[in-house]
Parts: sequence; structure tokens; C-alpha cells
Amino acid sequence: MRKRYFAFAVLLIFIAGCASPSPQKDKLIKLPDPSSADPHGRLVFALGGEVSVLNPILSTDSTSSAVEGTIFTGMTKINEKLEVVPDLAKSWRVSKDGRVWTFKLRRDVKWHDGHPFTAEDVVFTFNSILDPKVNSVRRSDYIIDGEPIKFKALDKFTVQALLPKPFAPFLVRSGMSVIPKHLLAGIDINTAAFNRQPVGTGPFILKEWVTGDHLTVVRNPNYYLGNPKLAEIIFKIIPDENARLVALEAGEIDQAGIPPKDYKRMKSLAGINVFEFDNLVYTYLGFNLANPKFKDKRVRQALAYATNKDQLVNLIFKGLASPAYAPSAPISWAYSDKVAKYPYNPEKARKLLAEAGAEELEFTILTNQGNKEREKAAVILQQQFKKVGVKVSVRIMEWSALLKIVNANNDPKDFETVLMGWSLGLDPDAYSIWHSSQYPRGFNFIDYHNRKVNQLLEKGRTTMAKDKRKKIYAKLWEEIASDQPYLFLWYPKTVVGVSERVGGLSEPGPAGLMLHLEKVFVIK
Amino acid sequence: MRKFVFRRLLQLIPLLIGVSLISFFVMHLAPGDPTSLFTDPNIDPMDLARIRANWGLDKPIIIQYFYWLGNVVRGDFGTSYMSGQPVLKEILERLPNTLLLMVASYILTLLITIPLGVISAVKKGKWFDNLVTVLSFAGMATPSFWLGMMLMLLFSVKLGWLPAVGMYDPLIRDQGVGVRVLDLIRHMILPLTTMTVLSLAGITRYQRAAMLEVLNQDFIRTARAKGLPERVVIFKHALRNALIPIVTILGLSLPGLFGGAFIIETIFAWPGMGRLGVLAIFQRNYPLIMGIVVFSAVLIMLGNLLADICYALVDPRIRYAKK
Repeated sequence: MRKRYFAFAVLLIFIAGCASPSPQKDKLIKLPDPSSADPHGRLVFALGGEVSVLNPILSTDSTSSAVEGTIFTGMTKINEKLEVVPDLAKSWRVSKDGRVWTFKLRRDVKWHDGHPFTAEDVVFTFNSILDPKVNSVRRSDYIIDGEPIKFKALDKFTVQALLPKPFAPFLVRSGMSVIPKHLLAGIDINTAAFNRQPVGTGPFILKEWVTGDHLTVVRNPNYYLGNPKLAEIIFKIIPDENARLVALEAGEIDQAGIPPKDYKRMKSLAGINVFEFDNLVYTYLGFNLANPKFKDKRVRQALAYATNKDQLVNLIFKGLASPAYAPSAPISWAYSDKVAKYPYNPEKARKLLAEAGAEELEFTILTNQGNKEREKAAVILQQQFKKVGVKVSVRIMEWSALLKIVNANNDPKDFETVLMGWSLGLDPDAYSIWHSSQYPRGFNFIDYHNRKVNQLLEKGRTTMAKDKRKKIYAKLWEEIASDQPYLFLWYPKTVVGVSERVGGLSEPGPAGLMLHLEKVFVIK
Repeated sequence: MRKFVFRRLLQLIPLLIGVSLISFFVMHLAPGDPTSLFTDPNIDPMDLARIRANWGLDKPIIIQYFYWLGNVVRGDFGTSYMSGQPVLKEILERLPNTLLLMVASYILTLLITIPLGVISAVKKGKWFDNLVTVLSFAGMATPSFWLGMMLMLLFSVKLGWLPAVGMYDPLIRDQGVGVRVLDLIRHMILPLTTMTVLSLAGITRYQRAAMLEVLNQDFIRTARAKGLPERVVIFKHALRNALIPIVTILGLSLPGLFGGAFIIETIFAWPGMGRLGVLAIFQRNYPLIMGIVVFSAVLIMLGNLLADICYALVDPRIRYAKK
């Protein structure tokens, strides 16, 4: 499922991932020398989908977010280590009870139209999101247990957020991109002309938007973190994956995501650096626990033992993914691998199924059309489960139709198992996925309820200290893995090809390769 | 004739109401709604319900339909859910791109297929006819995405002669009109070639069949018997009659002009109607879907009307009564 986060929206094209570029056997990564940067350089990005709207509080797709990331900025942002660091805010303070957050803003920021940026803009942004008439899906981010967060400008450059109760994930959410009050106050934001001619505080200014073809943003000479080295960034919309690769090879674009099937070929090409990094994403098989077939924990554990995750990952991804065991990602600070892993053991699987009286188990795997990896995985799982006597049929549905079943507000829901994925937020809070209050209306669509898990989830989001949270989440993952309400399958790697003429890249990570966009350059 | 056209235009109104009513209900039968794609664990389902209510989707479908119809009568096709832009604007942004590509391909197809079909029919059974037949079937059997990719690999990657994707080169946008038009033509070549090659086969076969049928008729024999030169027999007597079925086929394929070619547009990243329409359906962007449906319906009807008028032009036996 899609996830878009303002602060690191810039590179949602390279969604998520971690650590240093992995060593490459065939070819070393060649990065150009900054001294040869072209002051008139233009970088050409490829976007896989259409850009619908350029207003960070309205957009719901990663393509729009990718462009917004060059135009808008927020109070905070994410660094290479996934930590929240200052951006429009210079510093912030949290009161002892975790409820009052005070942000001190930079005084040297101007909107692209020259108007000065102030605390009023920040307050306006959050209040617009909270306005029920504005069709913003971000509204839930700023409502805690039904009560909205209150935002106030204490003076021209100080913003205060008053939380109804302590809420750790707010730190990440404070990075929401800010929109200008002077251009949007009193206007219907849903249909504003602004959404096609945005004005932001970011390193680039929108120059041209040719619907469905390309967008051009140009350097903002007044950017508060310094003059960007690139003169322009062009976003070319190329919906077809193969066409993107062709365009990369032909030199028409400077960057493209690379699917596993093309990995080897692209890596051997001259002129292209291939980066691979881990993702904040996992794929799983979710059991509908409201269905009597999956009520017994032993059945779920047996299916976990019956799954050869290494084979799955190798067959589908040719090594460009790793097996998953918990609902977190190894690159998250809250990850812990002290969880039950259920290593491949068909004998044990058979035994557990017999104990649970489920030797005759038959069920359907539901997954969405258009995701080749998931379609393949469903078929491979079908074969693997057959070895322990479990009969599986696969059903592939159009995405919206599948979501309708999964998100329907009825109990029980009309599926047996579902093969899907979650993109994780930067904050480990997973309340909406696992808390029993989130069923049937909510994203705990498998009807999972475990009182201990509920308590840990509540504690995790109201505890502020990171080291304490780390322990809470380690326990949470352990508890969930032991229950196996999901059969965790894999963490895909992101593979990106970037033209060798592009430099100034950041460490490949969840924030992408161009975290410091103002430092990115191309050579002549 | 004028009365005929007027009557046909009047018939549009009930037809359009019927088409839009059926489409509206069928569209809502598809599972899911525009908010179902916003599946982010941080979004409270109550919020999605709020957004649906803002869009009026909480009302009964029949009421929604009359709201929509009332607005359309006043010339307001609504706003796209995803972009907040007027539907009409979204369609009109894409329509010229689609028409440019489709009309060019249409004309090119006609220019090639009609002579090809005629020659094939005249030289029936000869090597030329056989070659055209084999090529036609090969053309019909070639998937557009494959041909497109091959052309791109050859002309963009290997030879570097033509741009692979898109409609414009963003780097030369500030240059003169001449340069930009030339650039547009360069961008058109590959998608145009792909489309034309694939549509050649069908119409060539139709043209050949129609021509063969006419050539076997008595009046052709008469024409030949009275000693007319073969060129006059073929082009004046036979071709005019053999064009009638082609006009029908062309009239029927007009809506395709408007609908665009989704696969071609996707591969060559051409910003046309096909991509817009398919995306609208995936996103359940109801106002946009309806806008496109109404537009296509009008175009189909106008296309058919145009075909009927063309009959009168090519077929001396058809004249619309002056009653």
C-alpha cells in the first residue's frame, strides 16, 4: 500500500531503504567530482504516474509528492539516519508531559513570490488540514483519540502545538510541508488554482507543467540552505517501466527504478550507476482471523513453517529482497530480530496442522492485479503449501475492488487470506494496523486482537524516550511474530539506476539519494 | 439534407441522457470508490467517510445522477476528485494531443491502405497481392507494445536518431516555434509509425475485399466491354463503389480517435486521452469518467452522422430526401 511522507517525499521515487551502497562486483560506482559541476545543469527525473495536484496537504500519490518535495519544505525533515532534524524550524522543545511542543522558526525564509514566511503560515497549514471541508487525507495525522491538535503562533517566528495527550509520532508528522497563508486564506483549497501554480519555500520553483508530459522546476536563488547547484529539474512522465529503462539508456532521463529482471543488464551498462538499498516496506500474507480456519495459532504457525522464504525471495527477486519475520523493517531504529522465525520445516508444519485438526486445510489467497511479484508469490506459496497437504487457490483482483473487500465495514470480511504489503512510516507506531479497536473499521482488517499487543501499542505511542520505545517495540514485534496473524514474507530492495553525470548524492537510504537536493549537480 | 442533419442532432439529446444514465449506474457498480485507494495506515476511515460526503457520495446514486445532470445542463462537468481541476479543462488539455496523433495516423493509414487494397485486388493472386496479404497478417499479429519497444530500441537507443518518449523536449521549450514544431514531429514519428503499421492490415484487407466484390459486378464488365481504359474502370467506376464499406468502417472507428490508444500512449509516454481515461477508471474518479463518457458519446454520434453524409457523397444511389 502506498505511503507518502512529506519530509522525504522528494525521493519517494526511490522509496525507502538504508545504509551504504552495497559493494558491486561487476562495476564500481563512479561519481563525478563536484568541481566539474555545470552551473546551468539540468537533471531529468522520470515519474511513473501522472501528477495530479501540487499541494502537499491534498496530494495522495507518490508522483505528486515527488515534485512537491522540490517545491515545498516543512518545519522538520529526515536525515540519512532517519532522524528528525530541523528544516524551517531552527529548534524545538517538548514539555515534560509530552503535550506542549514549541517550534522556533528560521527568520530568513521567503516564499517563492518574495513574501516573508512566518509562524502564521505554519498554523494556517495545520488548520487547513484539520478543516473538515478540505479534502485532506492527512487530517487523521493530527487528531489523537478524536481530539485535534491545537496550533498557535506565539509570535512571528514561534509555533506551539498543544496535544490532547502525549503522542510520540507527532515528531515525524511535524515535517508536513507548509503552504502559504497569504495565497490561500479564504479560498477553497480543494479547487484552488494554486494547486497547479504552487508557491513554496523549497529549493526549486515551478516553471512549467505540461499535463501528462513533463514538469520543470527552476533553481530558487533565495533558498535558505544556499543556492541549489542544479539550474533546473525536469520531471518527465513515463508510465511504462520498460520505456523508462529505454529512456535511461538513451540518455533522455537521468534516473529510473530498475525491476529485478533488468538488474543484471542495467548493471553492466556503461554510464549508469546502479544503487540498491533496503526498504521500509514489507510484504505479507494476512490471515482473516474472523474465519474459523485460521483461529488456531498452530495453523498459522504451521503455514509459516511450510514457507520456504529463501526460495521465494530467490525465485522472484533474484536476491534483491530479503526474508521478513516481523512487522518492522531491519533499517528501522525500532527493529528487533528477537522474534520467532519459523525456519522452513515441512515436517513440523504437517505435525502442527495435524495437532490442530487442519490436515484438510483449503483456502484462497487474494492479491492485486498488476503487481507481478505478488502474483508470482501467490503461485509459489500455492506450491509450497501443497507439500504439506494444504490446498490453495489464487484469486487476483483489481486493486480498488480488492481494497473494497479488505476495508469493508463488515464483520467477518469476505476474504480468507490476502497477499499485500505495508509501507512503514518513519515512526514505528503501528496502532492502526494491530490495535483491536481498528476492526472492522480500520486497517486491522484481519481482526487481530491481543490484549498485550494493545497495551504495547498504546504505550509505544505515548512514550517519548527513544530507548524506552525501542524496548516496547521489540516486545511488540516478538508478541506479534509469535501469533503470526500475518505470515511475513519479504523486504524488497529498491534498485535505482542513475546516470554517471549526476553527483552530490546522499547516502542511499529511505530518504532517497537526493536528500540534500541543493547539493545535487550534473557535469557538462 | 439540412433537415436530416437537424433531426439527427435532435436525436442526440435523448440518446445522451440514456447513455449517461446507464454509464452512471454501471460506473457505480464497480467495487470500490475514489477514497479506497487512500490506503495508508495513518488515515482514519472516518476521515475517508468525511471526504466521500464532501463529494456527495453519501447520497443515493439516483440523486447523485440528477445533481450531475443538472450541472451538465448548465455546462459544468464538475471537478476531478484527484486534481481539483474542472473536468472539462482536464479533457481539453488532453484532447488535442490525442487528436494530433490519431488524425495523423488515420490519414496516413488511408493514404497507404486504399491504393494498397486496390492494387491487391486488381493483381489478385499475383506476387504483389500475396506479399501484401502476408504483411497484413503479420501486422495484425504484432502486439503494439512489442513493436513500439523494438522501434524505440532501434531508433532511440542504438541509432540515437529519435526521442524515445514524450511529446516535447523540455530543454528547448523557450526556443522558436519552428524548432518546437520540428521537435514535436520528431517525437511523433515512433508512436505514429507503430499505430499506422498496426492499423494498415485491417483496412487494406477490407479495401481489397470490397474492391474484389465490385470488380466482379456486371457494370464493371459493361464498362470494360464498351472499351473504357482499365485505369478509368478501376478508379472511376470500381473504386467509388468500393469506398462505401470503407466509409462505414471509418465512421465506426472515429470514436477511437477520441478515446486514444492506451497502450501506445503508455509506452511512448504520450499525454493523451487513453491514459487519462484508464487512470480515471482505476481511481474511480467519477466526474472525470462521466465527462469522458459524454464526450465520447457525442463524438461517436457525430462520427456516425458524418459517415452518413459521406455515403451521399460517394454513393450516387443515396440521397437524403428533401421532405
